[in-house]
Amino acid sequence: MTPVKRDILIGLVLVAAACALPFLLPGRYIVTQATLFFVWAVVVVQWNLVLGVGGIFSLAQMALFATGAYATAMMGFYWKVPMLAAIPLAGVVAVAIGMLIGLACLRLRGPYVALLTLAIAQVMYVLIVNDTACFTSTGGCMPLFGGVRGIGQFGDLGFRALMPKSWHVAHYFVALGLLVVAVAMSIVIIRGPLGLAFRALRDNPGYAVSRGISRFKYQLWIFAVSAFLTGIAGGFYAVQFRVVGPTVFSFQLLLFLIAMIVVGGLGTIWGPLLGAAVLMLADEGMKELSDYRNIGLGLLLVLFIILQPGGLVRLFSRKPKPAADAKTG
Amino acid sequence: MDVFIQIVASGLTLGAMYAVATVGLSLVYGSLNMLNMAHGAILTLGGYLCYAGIQHLGLHPALALAGAAALCAVVGLLIYLGAALPLLRAEGFETNIFIATIGIGSILENLMLKGFGPYPIPQPLAVPGHVVLGNVHVPLQNLFILGVAVVLMAAVAFVLERTRTGRAIRATSMNREAAQLMGVRVGRVYAQVLAVSGALAAVSGVMISSIATLSPVMGGDPMLKAFIVCVVAGLGNVYGAVVAAIVLGLLEAATQYILGVRWSFATLLLIVILVLIWRPYGLFGRTQVVRL
Amino acid sequence: MAEPVLAIHDVAAGYDGRRVLDGVDLVVPAGRLTAIIGPNGHGKSTLLKAISGLVRVSAGSIALHGTRIDGLRPDQIVERGVIQVPQGDLLFPGMTVLDNLLMGAYRQDAARDAGARLDMVFTLLPKLKERRHQIAGTLSGGERRMCGIGRGLMAGDGLLMLDEPSLGLAPIVIDQIYEVIFDLCAAGRTILLVEENAQRITERADSIHLLDNGRFVWSGIGAELMARPEIIEAYLGA
Repeated sequence: MTPVKRDILIGLVLVAAACALPFLLPGRYIVTQATLFFVWAVVVVQWNLVLGVGGIFSLAQMALFATGAYATAMMGFYWKVPMLAAIPLAGVVAVAIGMLIGLACLRLRGPYVALLTLAIAQVMYVLIVNDTACFTSTGGCMPLFGGVRGIGQFGDLGFRALMPKSWHVAHYFVALGLLVVAVAMSIVIIRGPLGLAFRALRDNPGYAVSRGISRFKYQLWIFAVSAFLTGIAGGFYAVQFRVVGPTVFSFQLLLFLIAMIVVGGLGTIWGPLLGAAVLMLADEGMKELSDYRNIGLGLLLVLFIILQPGGLVRLFSRKPKPAADAKTG
Repeated sequence: MDVFIQIVASGLTLGAMYAVATVGLSLVYGSLNMLNMAHGAILTLGGYLCYAGIQHLGLHPALALAGAAALCAVVGLLIYLGAALPLLRAEGFETNIFIATIGIGSILENLMLKGFGPYPIPQPLAVPGHVVLGNVHVPLQNLFILGVAVVLMAAVAFVLERTRTGRAIRATSMNREAAQLMGVRVGRVYAQVLAVSGALAAVSGVMISSIATLSPVMGGDPMLKAFIVCVVAGLGNVYGAVVAAIVLGLLEAATQYILGVRWSFATLLLIVILVLIWRPYGLFGRTQVVRL
Repeated sequence: MAEPVLAIHDVAAGYDGRRVLDGVDLVVPAGRLTAIIGPNGHGKSTLLKAISGLVRVSAGSIALHGTRIDGLRPDQIVERGVIQVPQGDLLFPGMTVLDNLLMGAYRQDAARDAGARLDMVFTLLPKLKERRHQIAGTLSGGERRMCGIGRGLMAGDGLLMLDEPSLGLAPIVIDQIYEVIFDLCAAGRTILLVEENAQRITERADSIHLLDNGRFVWSGIGAELMARPEIIEAYLGA
């Protein structure tokens, strides 16, 4: 069986299981949490393309997610754009911002990229939170980006009016659809020419460059591609919760998502998905511990990166661990 | 003229605090290519430990400060033993340690949240009084911070330039393998550097909280600024970082005065992005030759 | 026969699971110049790195004065008196020449009489004295090599390993460098020399070992090597 065929088979089984879930466990809480899981899974699957496949140490993924969410909310709030049009448009806006960030990072090396992207996200957060000037006063004073309180009342996908009892199931399937597209894209990229180009750039940069593989071009591509679905996921997040606030920039959330990728397995197709599932479940399990939840999350991340650096998927693959050399001590 | 004095006085204080916060980061990156994302949490911990020493144990402020620095040095050492040492044995150290220290920082931050509560508290280590320059009242606290920073920077420079240990640290950051061939035990250098970095972070945490307040998340902002300073100076360039920190402090004070607090951080960042596009390895950074 | 300074027995070593050395045996006697020759990329530098502990030895043993040193940390091996002047110098580019030399005397017992050693190095390599306050990264190729060798000499007595000291230098500078090396030999220093250019050392080396494809394929003295043109032809392309 070729890797692609195997991936498709795994995907079909998972989709079938996911389709059955709302009928087997129809509780509203479970379905809503599963929907949230799909959203985060879309984000980490796309982030993994930049981080694991492209080898670009970008921490701007949540900023792109926020861009999608804010763009959706603002189009709906200020211009009454219907959500079905606003969400894809928000994806395009995220691509534009993603390209800009990608351009700024192009000539930088690993750690510089991480710091620059982190700082960009922080600036967006600070600008939104510190903005207190009234932009509009319909229904009370509201800054352009909604300030600390965020933006609400921008409409939704229409399922709430259509089926007031079970709109959450409809949203569940919309999110599942998004995830299927995201994973399909990830398979195409990792197994396809773009993934090959990045592998070539990583394994033998001299040869790759001499064969006309341009790092700049491919870096921009992967930034753009992964920004699109991340932005759309942000837009969906907005309609799911009907409010967008600066909490999407929170460092705890960033940590949560990075942990998903690391625990699952960086650079692999199924790792981020697996990691997202494991961490959502672990988070659920630690709910009782309330205050210690974030400590547990941090511990999980640290332990995994030190003891199982290849992530959980490495347990399923037969590849030997790279041998340790170069003594220090 | 008074405005000028005002900006220089507060800018130098800010710059001095950033310099103390940055030097440790820069040393650590220079020696072992490690971006320590737990630095902000260690800085906060230093502030709280000093507070606890004075408030709960009734220690003399100087003793509390020294104790906080010593305990944070131990934390730095533990990060080396618990995270950096095992990760150095595997591939992808730079990425792995970055992510691991994000986790460690988060653990520390949440432990402090648990131990000291979410509400801001004042730092008891304060020097009352002020001096008058022109028509400007400059608090003695600011001068005290400046003085401590100058002493610390001079001490770091002396150790790096004039001692056997310091020479080994510099050698390791320039060429790890060559340093090993000279007989330098690089593992010990890493441990020393992380401990020193922890102690310096603690002192800067006490300084920063003494003119603002103590809260579990207070470390994030200075850490980001310290990283910006490192990036502008070129990662691992210790002396460049001190210069860049002071320039950044002055710039921040000036933009705060001219554009207001809201825009100052965004303006700083814009400058940083422009610097990086102009010189991708920082202002004083060595252009590393990429070997193919 | 007196106990050799260095005895290597059946050593295998490599990087990331790729074996570069396999079944290497070598004896370095005291007070002699031992030379390793051979084509590029066949493990000469790897062998020196394995001796210094920078590359892990996966099989076999390396003994210094009868005590095993394989498995020790690089700093412990240097502390026991195995000094390497690495290929391409690997100076500390941001330090002055003087600081580079002082780093050479980092070893515990070398640090104690660093002053006397500095005088010795400056006598042997007077150019370094002129340049002592210059930043090492700005030296010329030949000066850099001298600084590298001087830094090795600062480490004091013991086994001196030189990795391709003539690499990338102009012929006249190579002559100067070898003059220094032969002076050291004459003074009774134990030297292990890696050299690609066999002609340079045939007359002076006490023994020559040809390393090919990760193992020694021929050993002898210079005159024997010169009498076997086919070896020179096949391995060294001269």
